Amino acid sequence: MVKANANYNSIQRNKKPWLQKKDIIGWLIMLPTIVLFAFFVWEPILESVKLSLYTAKGFRTQEFVGFDNYKALFAYPVFTKAIVNTFTYIFWSLLIGFFTPMILAVLITETVHWRGFFKIGIYFPNIIPGLATVLMWRYIFGEGKTGVLNIILSGFGIDQQVWFNNTLITIPLIVIILTWRGAGATTLIYIANISNIDPALYEAATIDGAGIFKRIRHITLPSIFSLGKTMLIIQIIAVFQILYEPLVLKQGGPNNASISIMMIVWNYANRLFNYPMAAATSVVICVFLIVLSGLYFKLTKSKED
Amino acid sequence: MFFDKYSKKEDGTIRFYDLHSMRTRVLCIIIFLICIVVIIVALFPPAWVFMAGFRTLKDFNNIPAILPEKFDFSLFAKTWNDLKFTKYYINSFYVLFGSILSAIFFNGLLAYALAILKPKGHKIVFGLVLWSMLIPATTSMVALFVNISKMGLSQSFIPLWLMIGANAFFVILFKQFFESLPKELIEAAKLDGCGYLQTFLRIVLPLSKSIVMVIIIFAINAAWSDFLLPYLLLNNSGKETVMVRLYMFQGGTATSVELLRAVVFSIIPPIFLFIIFQKQITQGAAAGALKG
Repeated sequence: MVKANANYNSIQRNKKPWLQKKDIIGWLIMLPTIVLFAFFVWEPILESVKLSLYTAKGFRTQEFVGFDNYKALFAYPVFTKAIVNTFTYIFWSLLIGFFTPMILAVLITETVHWRGFFKIGIYFPNIIPGLATVLMWRYIFGEGKTGVLNIILSGFGIDQQVWFNNTLITIPLIVIILTWRGAGATTLIYIANISNIDPALYEAATIDGAGIFKRIRHITLPSIFSLGKTMLIIQIIAVFQILYEPLVLKQGGPNNASISIMMIVWNYANRLFNYPMAAATSVVICVFLIVLSGLYFKLTKSKED
Repeated sequence: MFFDKYSKKEDGTIRFYDLHSMRTRVLCIIIFLICIVVIIVALFPPAWVFMAGFRTLKDFNNIPAILPEKFDFSLFAKTWNDLKFTKYYINSFYVLFGSILSAIFFNGLLAYALAILKPKGHKIVFGLVLWSMLIPATTSMVALFVNISKMGLSQSFIPLWLMIGANAFFVILFKQFFESLPKELIEAAKLDGCGYLQTFLRIVLPLSKSIVMVIIIFAINAAWSDFLLPYLLLNNSGKETVMVRLYMFQGGTATSVELLRAVVFSIIPPIFLFIIFQKQITQGAAAGALKG
């Protein structure tokens, strides 16, 4: 086939130019969108790297300083704190955010009543804009006697809590908010996966005498765990970019207890107007994320094989 | 009876033949109750915001209660007017309409070329688009903002409209769909003398209503909730969207009940969208991720 094609090409070469009309029109059609991709996606990445190597006054770059911005960044104690916090966020989001959708998916696929309602209800928080979600939860975890959860807890005779002001639980509380908003989408994916498991597997296991929990452990869980690897990486990538929650809740506080790397970018860009430092911080995040994404692609590839 | 429906259950672990055991029956009821509790947790916060909006500031700050005393809609109307929400809604709708058109037109065109025309070198372009998915937009936001400002396009909706026209995820969704279209129809259009652009607008797009719908829903949600770039660009321009204003209120002069009413105004449109398109949205969420 290839050889035939080659022959055909060599015969037609004189008639067909290297670029045909179809190719030119195709490129003309792609051009507007390619320009947009270049302007909004590709160029800013390179620009970030370039900007991070210069000093600047406002938007104007001044002089090339090499890696000085990066050195300053790594010497900046708040940045170190933000890195540590990011790993704390990841730890809690693994503990709370990773298993919750799995458990919910297993529970919902065991129901026969109202299942459609459960699926829609659980996805509902996902459509609430991120900023609105945070503002809502700020009052739910409100301090004092009028905080919503404090009102509910007092009904059970539990003392008032200070919630976010307790630096030990600031990050776990933020992760709870993230999970509230994000778990539904992941749960739906797991439910679709569980529903696709061959029923014959369960029947065979039952005949072999496996009880309900044994069947869940040996059939359901392995099936969703293979998907879980992918979900895990997506989750970590999302947590790396966490911004609204610490920003709106406590401005990264109390005492920088919840500050994230993206918040440092925000502070450099919006409070200090130091764009080169903001860009340097972005590049550091970017490097982390590229490594993680590479890992993600590798895992999804091996899933297909 | 509660257990009758289990005879039809064909997925998950528990089957009708497990139900002869009393323990399994109790377990089924417990699972059902847990699911109800989970849904209450999922729905409670937005429901609470609606209820809190009906309370006065004095009442809200002093009396620990969850339900309002009375449902007085004039409080919402007053906050709407005081915070000039009509203006921000109009701004947000401007952003939405431009974003929808741009999301369909630009991403659609690129996908059309990649899936159907396949000019020489199209694989390189698709590779670059795929690669850009690896790098989240937030990381290059600062450089993008600096570029836009240098061009004098800050304080304008144009960058917000155009940015969603370069969305790798939408390109992939479109491309997958276009590849499944029957080739005969496109060939027929060519024979009838349809130009390439005409084929896209008159044949390909009308045949792809279902994916266009999905992209419109995604684009609306993204454009409505987007905050970072709109804030950088529109801050103090008089063109603030609802989300930008919401952020400015929380650091500004608005009282807590006013802020909560503002939250209500900001979540009503997405909730409507969800109620109308719940099937498409939940199915899209499950299917889209499985493929990607």
